[in-house]
Amino acid sequence: MRSRDPSAIDAFSLKGKTILITGASSGIGAAVAKLCAQLGARLVVNGRDNNRLSAILQGLEGEGHTAVIGDLTEVKTRQRLLEAADGYDGLVSCAGIAALVPFRMASEKHLQQMLSVNYLAPITLTQQLLYKRRLKGGASLVFVSALSARAAPLAAAGYAASKAALEAAVRSLGLEQARHNIRANCIAPGYVETPMLHELGTAANMDEKIGLTPLGKISPDDIAKGAVYLLSGSSRWITRTTLTIDGGISLPIRL
Amino acid sequence: MSEEQIVTIQNSPASLLETLFGLNGKTILVTGASKGIGQVVARICAQAGARMIINGRNIARLEETLASLEGEGHRLLLGDLSDSAILESVSAECGKVDGVVHSAGVRGLAPMRIVSQQFLQEVMQINYFAPVMLTRHLLARQALNKGGSVIFLSSISALTGTVGVGPYAGSKAALIGTMRPLALELARREIRVNALCPGLVETTLITEDKNWFEESCKRYPLGIGQPEDVAMACLYFLSDSSKKVTGQVFNMDGGVEFV
Repeated sequence: MRSRDPSAIDAFSLKGKTILITGASSGIGAAVAKLCAQLGARLVVNGRDNNRLSAILQGLEGEGHTAVIGDLTEVKTRQRLLEAADGYDGLVSCAGIAALVPFRMASEKHLQQMLSVNYLAPITLTQQLLYKRRLKGGASLVFVSALSARAAPLAAAGYAASKAALEAAVRSLGLEQARHNIRANCIAPGYVETPMLHELGTAANMDEKIGLTPLGKISPDDIAKGAVYLLSGSSRWITRTTLTIDGGISLPIRL
Repeated sequence: MSEEQIVTIQNSPASLLETLFGLNGKTILVTGASKGIGQVVARICAQAGARMIINGRNIARLEETLASLEGEGHRLLLGDLSDSAILESVSAECGKVDGVVHSAGVRGLAPMRIVSQQFLQEVMQINYFAPVMLTRHLLARQALNKGGSVIFLSSISALTGTVGVGPYAGSKAALIGTMRPLALELARREIRVNALCPGLVETTLITEDKNWFEESCKRYPLGIGQPEDVAMACLYFLSDSSKKVTGQVFNMDGGVEFV
């Protein structure tokens, strides 16, 4: 075996970084939390489900992690996240909801719910993090968006629009914060094996669509690895970008 | 549960990083490795544990690059890839590879009002035909291993308008056009194909014109890029960490708004 030079790969390390992860109690957020902790980060994890989030917290490698239970659409949850650490080197925004609703049935309540969870919650949290100076220089913000933001499939007006709003806000934010060396990027996953996808599957037959993915099913770990790249110093020049991790499903789609 | 814990204990952060983003056991071909971005990509891939095959036109500089690579078992394949005979011989001599970084390219600047067909063809020859046909020859020889990764170096100029960059922009856009069908065709063999679209990267090619260079730097919110930034992206796209990423145009440009 060849000895390894420490300089190249170590740029992907998260050692010494404090990272806030929302939606950490299941799916993509849980995978991101697990991997970030393994790579040496100190985490503040947020989720709504007390039992599940506690179990995630227990399973994290390393020490000094904190769990903040609560709904991110509520001001008091966001306030507690601001106070949970002296400052953050990174954010991975994974909290989100999805529902398939045909446009004709898309009530104002549905549209408001999609916007409030997928767009307003992460963006107002980020606004407060900046306003209260809770982001350190060199911080990297990663927002989990969705391929739907650009692909806009059937029955996804509410969901796709909320993710498109998120992507647009992140690009503007990235432009403004670059002079403080704060980066902001999105990850747009295709169909990922998560509880959220399974819930959708009960509402509609998703298997057919998942079967269209040329490289097969995507696991939450695949998204977590992309998030580590964007969080770490190895991507120090990358901002206002969307990393699409979709197994090639978007190849025949005009995005 | 206990089995999982044992695995976790063995995975110290350093060895986990090596598993995730390292290239141990992989053979990577890099073109244009005698200078600029390609040279740095070669060095960083070697640091990450890959066995490198480097191609370039200048023997002295290519040998210099080879000597600077960490580890052992690296090889060089000298030759101008705009020559189709050399293209074929490179594909024949390189053997099985797990990744290719098509870094060889020319700047190709000319106002469209006066551009000649010959000049357009020269730019297309090096920036488009060479990487596409090299990939084609490697595939015909079954030289790309299952799970492999192909990286085209496209450019932000493929996606934006800049005065005087017509021939270059066209050649880099052509790479993106071909990448998607190629990615679909290779998905069955779990081979991935992606295009990096960097903005301005500091190489000797661009630092020659100092005034233009300094004006350009101001437009990049995070400054202009370093070859290392492209090389680190290559580590992500070559490693198994990106095994579900294919057909992507990946923008890396320091957040530039108006190129």
